[in-house]
Amino acid sequence: MTPITSEAGQVGAITEAAVQDVVLDAIRLANLARDTGAQLEVSAEAPIFGPDSALDSLGLVALLLDIEDGLRAIGCEVLLSDERAMSQKRSPFRSVPALVAYITGVARG
Amino acid sequence: MPERHVLITGATRGIGEALAAHCLAAGDLVVGCGRSAPAINHDRYTHFEVDVTDAKSVDGVFRELKRRFKRLDVLINNAGIGGMNAIALTPVDAARRIVETNFLAAFNFTREALRMMRSSPAGRIVNISTVAVPMRLEGEAVYAASKSAIETFTRIAAREVAPFGVTCNAVGPCPIKTKLTAAVPADKIQALIDRQAVRRWGAAQDVVNVVEFFLRPESGMVTGQVIYLGGAG
Repeated sequence: MTPITSEAGQVGAITEAAVQDVVLDAIRLANLARDTGAQLEVSAEAPIFGPDSALDSLGLVALLLDIEDGLRAIGCEVLLSDERAMSQKRSPFRSVPALVAYITGVARG
Repeated sequence: MPERHVLITGATRGIGEALAAHCLAAGDLVVGCGRSAPAINHDRYTHFEVDVTDAKSVDGVFRELKRRFKRLDVLINNAGIGGMNAIALTPVDAARRIVETNFLAAFNFTREALRMMRSSPAGRIVNISTVAVPMRLEGEAVYAASKSAIETFTRIAAREVAPFGVTCNAVGPCPIKTKLTAAVPADKIQALIDRQAVRRWGAAQDVVNVVEFFLRPESGMVTGQVIYLGGAG
């Protein structure tokens, strides 16, 4: 698979399903370090950041860096930075579907 | 602890070169960045000839680092430029160059480096400030403001990177005989030295000493600090 360049790069073959797998794996990984009462939902529709999620801003950073690592492992080099990152309503990282769409969009340039 | 992987910006001369030499002597693997060819020739030294303000070039540096080394333990944001001038006489482009080099480049290197530091047992980020910040010298407004930005960035970064086991500190050198201070009039430098508690020029080794303190594994509780040389502040 052709690695892509960061932030607004060009991608080889990357599918939304593959990106979703990476995102869900990263959420499962995050849950290993979280209390039972603060587990994050693992599903294709789950919220990630905002009023419906237990993830704080530093937790979001760690999760996104894990997702970058997971994407790199499948040959997809992206840097997840966005000025709307911490916006409660407009963050592209607010939910699994929003994040998957965002990553796929960035990856495809 | 395995050999440290150290990245130093502005490693071509002056303080950066001294820091690189120190780390090499300590057995570290050192990567340096600078606008010109390196002064150091060592089998554990790799040099990238880049402009640290060029985001695309910096992106390329980190791609190569990830490919070669996987892990980064230390980032020293040393690259900096000066420019003594009255506010009224400073062109906007000159001010922009100073801010881009002294602050934005350090921000970009930190952002990228953090991704490689998560796998480090003791990640360390060290920024270089200046005694010109607490001394509020006339003619140093833009330079000192760019370093004030670095100091605030250091203190906030310390909080953001702590969850990853990374510390972030800064050292503020007093005047040291480098290319940067060579352009400052002698009487201005002397006036500055006269305001220090220790009234003499500093040496690159004084900076190395503080940086090494920050880098020590035992310094894991030391973060968000700015240490000035010579008793300024």
